Amino acid sequence: MRPGRAGTGPTGGAAAGHHGAATAVRTVPRAPGAGPPGLDPRTKIVLVVVCSAAVMGSGGLRFVPAVLVLGTALAVWERSWGRAAGLPLAAAAMWLLGWVVPSWWPHPVTAAMAIACAYLIRFAAAIGVGMHLVATTSPTRLAAGLRAWRVPRPVSVTLAVMLRFFPVVAAESASVLDAMRLRGLVGARALIRHPVRSVERFTVPMIAASLRATEDLSASAILRGLGSPRTPTAMDPPRFGPPDLVLAAAVAVLAAGALWLPGPLA
Amino acid sequence: MPETTPPMTPAGPQARTPFRVHFSARDLVSVAIFAVIYFVVVFAIAMLGVVSPLVMLLTLPLSVLAGGIPYMLFLTRVRHAGMTTLFGVVLGLLNMMVGHPWQAALVMVAVSLAGELVLGAGRYRSGRAAIWACTVFSGWFIGPWVPFFTNRDEYLRSPAMEGMGEGYTRAFEQVVTGPAVLAMIAVALVCGFLGALLGTRLLRRHFRKAGLA
Repeated sequence: MRPGRAGTGPTGGAAAGHHGAATAVRTVPRAPGAGPPGLDPRTKIVLVVVCSAAVMGSGGLRFVPAVLVLGTALAVWERSWGRAAGLPLAAAAMWLLGWVVPSWWPHPVTAAMAIACAYLIRFAAAIGVGMHLVATTSPTRLAAGLRAWRVPRPVSVTLAVMLRFFPVVAAESASVLDAMRLRGLVGARALIRHPVRSVERFTVPMIAASLRATEDLSASAILRGLGSPRTPTAMDPPRFGPPDLVLAAAVAVLAAGALWLPGPLA
Repeated sequence: MPETTPPMTPAGPQARTPFRVHFSARDLVSVAIFAVIYFVVVFAIAMLGVVSPLVMLLTLPLSVLAGGIPYMLFLTRVRHAGMTTLFGVVLGLLNMMVGHPWQAALVMVAVSLAGELVLGAGRYRSGRAAIWACTVFSGWFIGPWVPFFTNRDEYLRSPAMEGMGEGYTRAFEQVVTGPAVLAMIAVALVCGFLGALLGTRLLRRHFRKAGLA
């Protein structure tokens, strides 16, 4: 986080602290300046909603390849190589399991698998676009974008705070899982033999640690005016720019292609 | 163990107007923290099932159950109207970011509003109402399956299903209808109720002792 770019929003930079969670916070690669010039946060939100509506609606399989291409391109653009490789691989695996395998081995099991894959591949497509929003939007920019839309303050502030807390809670739960793994408590066997106890062993320390870690953060956010009735101004106000235009053109081309080209999945 | 009568924290000094919708900064932060914790708990436990489909049959109900723990802890901090609805709205939006269908977000808002009514019936102070609100809220787990049921024909007319022949498709079609939906809702609600009881027990056993509830 670079405080200079982060604007004046109350949820901006990391909580300065000697707290254990602060180290986890600092390693999160969500600096607003990192990577290429980003899209406007509002564009990303509209994109996610449009893609979800297209893919999950009736006749959605037609749009799945286009949305997958879009998600992969966005991952490449933000240089998130893991997602850029993982998304097509996951989709290809689902295509193999759900379309290729059942076509030369008709069997009740493969037919059920085909249905599951037809459902999951839509999820994969929607996740690809959604992760771009989550990974590249700083809490401040999200709050500024929602404010520009006149979203009710409770919703916009809560969403921005959630985005801020997410890495903290994820880091805490990862460390609880690590501790469980060290004691040999993770795995399908333990889960099947003592399901409720496994849940308890993971959930209770994870919630306690997360609450403790976020306490400092919320105190600092409130100190910096989180609950104040005044509307904050943004140092880096959201503006639609050339990247948004490029994206709109790309979406138009992909949508046209999805509508007129024969779909490989449908 | 008298699990059905959990005394929630006694009403504080701000107990006068539980029906006024007004969010303090601390309320918003509470909603945000617990929405994230809820999301991570449910997601992590559902992800444990990815190893095999058999384990998945266990982990999906288990994630409903596990969700009861953070939700009951959240409800101890709900002292007035609006917070559970806000919880549903932001969690629905967050779920949409990770690929849940938009219909699921609507379902989540609807069950949150229903939970709000249940809590309101208990004037936001009743532990019993909290258990029922948690049960109602766990109905959102049906949300991700909504497109599957509304576009049923599309799934059943896939090439793989046609390869299986007309009879098989028709049999499948009979299974994936009303009874299946009702059974899924029932399973979600029962698991939600058990999760609420588990959450209440853990509240008493761990969180209250640690000063977190």
